[in-house]
Amino acid sequence: MRASVRSGKSPPGVTGRRGLAFGLYATAALMAVMAAVITPLSAYSLNLLMQAATYAIAVLGLTIVLGYTGQINLAQAAFFGIGAYGVALGTTAFGLSFLGALAIGVVLAAGAGAVLGLTSLRLGGHYLAMVTISFQTILTLVLTNWVAFTRGPDGVPNIRRPALLAESGPYLGLCIAALFAVAWFVWWLKTTKLGRAMQAVRDNELAANVIGVDAYATKVAAFTLSAVLGGFGGALFAGGFTYVSPDQFSFAESVVFLTMVLLGGAAAPAGAVLGTGLLILLPEWLRFLKVIYLAVYGGAVILIMIFMPDGIWGYAMTRWRRLRPARPIDPGIIAPLALTRETARADNSVILSVHGLSKHFGGLKAVDAVDLTIHRNTVHALIGPNGSGKTTLLNVLNGIVRPTAGSIALDGVDITRLPPHRRARHGLGRSFQNIRLFGAMSVLDNVIVAAERPRPLPALPRLRARAGRGDGGLECHALGALDFVGIAARAGAQVGSLSYGHQRLVEIARALAGSPKLLFLDEPGAGLNHVEKDELVRLLTRLKGHGLTILIIDHDMAMVERVADHITVLNFGKRIADGTPAEVLRHTDVIAAYLGEERPALSRSYGAS
Amino acid sequence: MGFNLQLLFTGIGVGSIYALVALGFALIYRATNVVNFAQGDFAMLGAFAMVVLAIDLELPYWLSILITLALMVGFGALFNLAVYYPLRNRSFLPVIISTIGASILLENGVLAAYGPRPQSLDSIFAVPGFSVGDVFFDSQYIVILVVAVVMVVVQYLFFERTLTGKKMQATSQDKEMASLLGIPVIWMIMLTFMYSAMLGGLAGILVAPVLFVTVGMGSSIALKAFAASIIGGFGDVTGAIVGGLALGVIETFGAAYVSVPYKDAFAFLVLFGFLLVRPQGIFGERISEKA
Amino acid sequence: MGHRGNAKGPVIIKSGLFMLAAAVGLAAFAAQAADPIKVGMVAPLTGPGAESGRFQTQGAKLAADEVNKAGGVLGRPLELVIEDDQTTNPGVVLAFSKLAGNAEFVAFLGPIRSTQIHAMAPDALRVGKPVLIGGTDPVLTHMGNPWFFRFRPHDVYSARVIADYGAKTLGKKKWAIVHSTDAFGTNGMKNLVESLKGMGIEPVLVQGYPNNSQDFTPVALAVKQSGADVMGTYMTFEPDQGIFAKQLRQLGVTLTWVGSPTTVTTTALKLAGPALYGSYAVVDFNKDSSGAAKAFAAKYEAAYKSAPDIFASWSYDAVHVLARAIGEAKSLEPEKLRQAILAVKGYAGAEGTYNFDHNGDRLHGYNIVKNNNGTVVFDKHIDFDD
Repeated sequence: MRASVRSGKSPPGVTGRRGLAFGLYATAALMAVMAAVITPLSAYSLNLLMQAATYAIAVLGLTIVLGYTGQINLAQAAFFGIGAYGVALGTTAFGLSFLGALAIGVVLAAGAGAVLGLTSLRLGGHYLAMVTISFQTILTLVLTNWVAFTRGPDGVPNIRRPALLAESGPYLGLCIAALFAVAWFVWWLKTTKLGRAMQAVRDNELAANVIGVDAYATKVAAFTLSAVLGGFGGALFAGGFTYVSPDQFSFAESVVFLTMVLLGGAAAPAGAVLGTGLLILLPEWLRFLKVIYLAVYGGAVILIMIFMPDGIWGYAMTRWRRLRPARPIDPGIIAPLALTRETARADNSVILSVHGLSKHFGGLKAVDAVDLTIHRNTVHALIGPNGSGKTTLLNVLNGIVRPTAGSIALDGVDITRLPPHRRARHGLGRSFQNIRLFGAMSVLDNVIVAAERPRPLPALPRLRARAGRGDGGLECHALGALDFVGIAARAGAQVGSLSYGHQRLVEIARALAGSPKLLFLDEPGAGLNHVEKDELVRLLTRLKGHGLTILIIDHDMAMVERVADHITVLNFGKRIADGTPAEVLRHTDVIAAYLGEERPALSRSYGAS
Repeated sequence: MGFNLQLLFTGIGVGSIYALVALGFALIYRATNVVNFAQGDFAMLGAFAMVVLAIDLELPYWLSILITLALMVGFGALFNLAVYYPLRNRSFLPVIISTIGASILLENGVLAAYGPRPQSLDSIFAVPGFSVGDVFFDSQYIVILVVAVVMVVVQYLFFERTLTGKKMQATSQDKEMASLLGIPVIWMIMLTFMYSAMLGGLAGILVAPVLFVTVGMGSSIALKAFAASIIGGFGDVTGAIVGGLALGVIETFGAAYVSVPYKDAFAFLVLFGFLLVRPQGIFGERISEKA
Repeated sequence: MGHRGNAKGPVIIKSGLFMLAAAVGLAAFAAQAADPIKVGMVAPLTGPGAESGRFQTQGAKLAADEVNKAGGVLGRPLELVIEDDQTTNPGVVLAFSKLAGNAEFVAFLGPIRSTQIHAMAPDALRVGKPVLIGGTDPVLTHMGNPWFFRFRPHDVYSARVIADYGAKTLGKKKWAIVHSTDAFGTNGMKNLVESLKGMGIEPVLVQGYPNNSQDFTPVALAVKQSGADVMGTYMTFEPDQGIFAKQLRQLGVTLTWVGSPTTVTTTALKLAGPALYGSYAVVDFNKDSSGAAKAFAAKYEAAYKSAPDIFASWSYDAVHVLARAIGEAKSLEPEKLRQAILAVKGYAGAEGTYNFDHNGDRLHGYNIVKNNNGTVVFDKHIDFDD
């Protein structure tokens, strides 16, 4: 259906809908705040709601760092405590205004988060968990023992609220307004470039790096944002309860925050709010159980992890999505993909120059002093028996693995020491042997993440940074890439619902969206049937026609013979042959490497090994 | 001189406690890639079981130990089935949270069942220790150290010299491959949990006379034991012992010479340092991802 | 015949009236009897304070039962409603505000941990009814909150008694102070240093330690090296105390020990065993300190099959004093109650004789007890006038 011509603006219907949703949200927020101020609530309810609101803000921080970016943070209570003590000491000992103290508390929390993130986000998983636990423990000790500054274990009483909000009702109104604002911010973050980068890092950090996302910087940003929200929540909490003591901000509280976000569902802000509300109300409802209720709570955590891994909200959303499948995107007329301007330079110059590249793993020489020269606008194949070092070589070229020796120059630029995301900026693209798509994002979003990275060629038009349905440049470009490989129709689908062959096409589209000069395809034919392979060959030919240079690894000799202009053969990490297909495939060393003995020329019927 | 020697001995004693618990951590991590936040509570359960058997029911001490160990083996199987097995295919995060939930459940369950009062347990030896000059050697600490070393040797021999041990190693290094080779992966993991629980229970039995039996006794050790195993090299058995002992000594000397209130910080500062400079720990190996 | 007929009528009417009156009276009495006076209590039933919470609950319940057996208060039974505060600050605020939100409660028994009392202080001020607390932080009754009534002597007194007994009675001048770094321990230490200073004594060692230290060798060595001949301690948890005591003795340290009340609880004695023999402690409750204390101990033991301690005695006294005050005031109005409690003088409770000062403190001294080979023996009571 290509009836409508795509304009640069979004159709009025979509903007109108979005505006309406925002309006409703703002109205709801206003009503909640009014209710808090006007309704005569009991002290119990006020306290409960204040705790819930301020905790929810901190938990929303975990949504960002854990739900969006997939990094664990077991120090949220420490950031909460920094914000709380900022307000506590600021308003009592230093005589600052509430707002001033709050700002300082949040800034300090952000600083701590940034420092912690910068130093430890190169590690992942359990190591990061331990670092955050360490920080948390040390902070609690400092709060308790640095008596001269923090007032020690006695805590800080008589924290002052802002003059207009001295009553609990209005103050609760402030907390609720803050919560609505923060929740909206966290929701909005998901739709931004940074938000997409975070999700890419969560789903597949390696692939994210390779397509140009600076995963490290993204993780630090997420961690810092998480600390900011933790500090903000803590600051409001201190004003609410007007008393803080160090024993409140312990590792146990960090665990509580984490449990809240996992219970509710880490992937969406609604989950954070839901989880917080439940875990604050649940102990209240379970009070009748008296002594055993904490045991019941612990058991409930286990059950939820087992039966509702995406949390309650995630579970509900999955059910909802099954009932209401997403409407397919009507692509309209898709502008042809502006790949590169290389077609102008059909001069066969060298685009990639590799000298003496080696990668040793201890005693194992996976890549042994390999020289490789790739000419512009060709399809260059890299073949060799299993274990010959092809993928390792590719990983070194991409920057995923550091070479032991040797140099790599891309279009004259020495990229030997550059990290993967910088190489993408210089024009390197890649698809992987094992599919590395961003599983929780849609097909279109997968491609948009690559499309919105810094472009390698200044000559290409700058794309507008904002994405969203019908907002021109970025989405057009992404759809163009999808259309090029032939699956634009599935743009709105979740990647998990695609067939293997189609997922592979999406990977290629994603690589193309970054406007690469040189595209690495690692076993693109694996798992494809004859028909799909034919289409792949056609695709490769078209790419070459558009000025792209391709380095392809594959085992299907027939296919390689059809597409390759030039073949390099590896065996045991060494280059044993390099030349045209005709030369290489009759080379005795090559035959010996594959078959282990001398044999006449390989016939065309040689299939995948 | 006596001063430092005393600190050294006590440091090693405390360190052996960490080492014993760290061994259990290392085992489960190697087999399942999961950090078990309830490992310390295994020790707590073992200690409470001893209290019930040896004190309340007045069974002979040695019999109580055997029954406790047997019970802990059974508990390990139960723990695996209830907490790890349903989540075995998920990423590490749900499992971590699940073990945290298990920790809360165990601690509060025991609290509800037994009450909050701390209990004491007699040590195996009637003699509390002996003095050499200015230095006092607590016999229970000596026992703990000896048992820790013995367990490391036993564990090493088991993993390197027996077929079952090698199968378990294979499982921990590559579950899919092991399964393809016909190794019953599920059963191997079950064995791991059972053995690890028994180790934990043993730690509890040995530690109870020194630290007394409280519901929270496990968690305070567990975190530091975890740090110790990272310092030593995560998943490495020798690393668990070395890391544990090192941590105990660092902590004790730090307390004596720098600050007692900040004692707990030393463990984590050292850990922090290691994670920045050498995250694989003293004996660990770097694991890189396959592209 | 006529007489009888006439007599019957009035009799019937009279008896009917009488029965009606009786019925109304009975109904009124029944209504009143079924309408209890509610007293709320927040206590830690879960969390690290769970043990003390159990004693607190039992002591209060014992007192409430006794009050009701003796006919209740103003003819109505006393009903104790307990909420768990989880030993956390938000927990106590929620527990207290939940109770306080119900206008039926006439008074409240608060927690024993001073940080928790601080946390709920704003809400207590707002609700404007008497709150009977067990925390020993001196600041609590000097914060300008007229509704707090303290049922244990606060820590200025424990420190003064420790200093007085150690320096004057036992004649020891070289002091070491070992204290937990939490609020209780730190404040106790500060007060003890103050009291010693007042006597012209500078401690030779002040050593803090974090709660749940598994090992006390560095602390014990520090004590040994300081050459002190007497040690004052403020230790919060009995396991810590047990480990410390054992290691101290193992290192051959034999100084005089005068400790805070935790040094002499039943659990402390059980865990530390011989390591604590010969030590002294200041304690607000000891069953031999007075006739009232002895009576309370006997009743508690009969009801719960275990010996009471400081966590139970204060709540027991609090409930009794409250009942008494309600009876004296003959009203449930908060201000009248407040005055009535303050007016209590010379009441012999389990913790001592109650004379409330204007701050809401009523006890100004502590008992000294000695650990004689495992038995706690009462030595003397030291009181201060100010």
